[in-house]
Amino acid sequence: MRAKWSMREILLAATPIAVAVFVFGASFGVLAVAARLPAWSVVLMSMLVFAGSAQFAALGVIAAGGSVLTAILAGALLNLRFIATGIAVAGSLPGGRLLRSLLAQLSIDESYAMSVRAGAPGPPDGRTLIVTGACLYVVWIAGTLMGALLGPVLGDPKRLGLDAAFPAGFVALLWPMLSGRHAVRCAIGGAAVALALAPFTPPGIPLAGAAVVGLWLAR
Amino acid sequence: MAGPLALALVLGLASLSFLMRAAGSFLPNLPSAVTARTGGLAPALLAALVAIQLTGPNGVIHLDVKVPAVLFAALLAALRAPFIVCVIGGAVVAALLRFVFHL
Repeated sequence: MRAKWSMREILLAATPIAVAVFVFGASFGVLAVAARLPAWSVVLMSMLVFAGSAQFAALGVIAAGGSVLTAILAGALLNLRFIATGIAVAGSLPGGRLLRSLLAQLSIDESYAMSVRAGAPGPPDGRTLIVTGACLYVVWIAGTLMGALLGPVLGDPKRLGLDAAFPAGFVALLWPMLSGRHAVRCAIGGAAVALALAPFTPPGIPLAGAAVVGLWLAR
Repeated sequence: MAGPLALALVLGLASLSFLMRAAGSFLPNLPSAVTARTGGLAPALLAALVAIQLTGPNGVIHLDVKVPAVLFAALLAALRAPFIVCVIGGAVVAALLRFVFHL
């Protein structure tokens, strides 16, 4: 088994991810401002939620005219996976339960994946999670801030096709996940159930139904 | 969106996300059969979001510029284009179609 990653190795591995996260943050900022969220709330959301796909999903609901409750539900359902990653990293983080639960806030898909890679074949590496997560946290907020400031300069969101940016972004997030048979099954099942429920249930229920199907078909 | 409503959105989503990430430190003994299933959430929900965005209230596909935009974004994603390229590509297709055909 090789030695743990050095700080330099961690930062080197995190750099390309940080660039991608910055750009993702900027696109979120632009679209959020275009969806008429106040700029301060957009940056605050990135500071307190720190989860790209969940924020994107919540914003997509708002941009399509959905309610705040439906938007929260959409984002929260996507974040349910953090219960699982939180359990996986809990044993690798320092301190008591309180400190560990705070440090676990640094887990996003990218920092979690890096900690798993750094810790392989053992449990996830806590230090890699903390360092990568902290870097990406700063970059995520900086990107969001830039996007939120840039957004109003761009002009009429519909003329620029920004309403189509949401489904386009969902597809772009979804595509790399479709690597296994289970994931494809979950995606098809989720879409089918959402479409079946949409005509006669209040907004939010189709997404909850898709979440249930996703959990059910996952293995 | 009005300030208080935006604040409710942010705080609502933030508090639920906080609890989910913190939960692992307090309930580390969930069976892995349960936690492994959360891997199915993201694909199911994202596919559902795409489906809902592309359909009208009656559940039938709503043919507007979003459909070709999504197809183009999917093509870019299949070619392993970065996220931002897919998003901008989809938006550009929608904007161009609107501009040319006044949709």
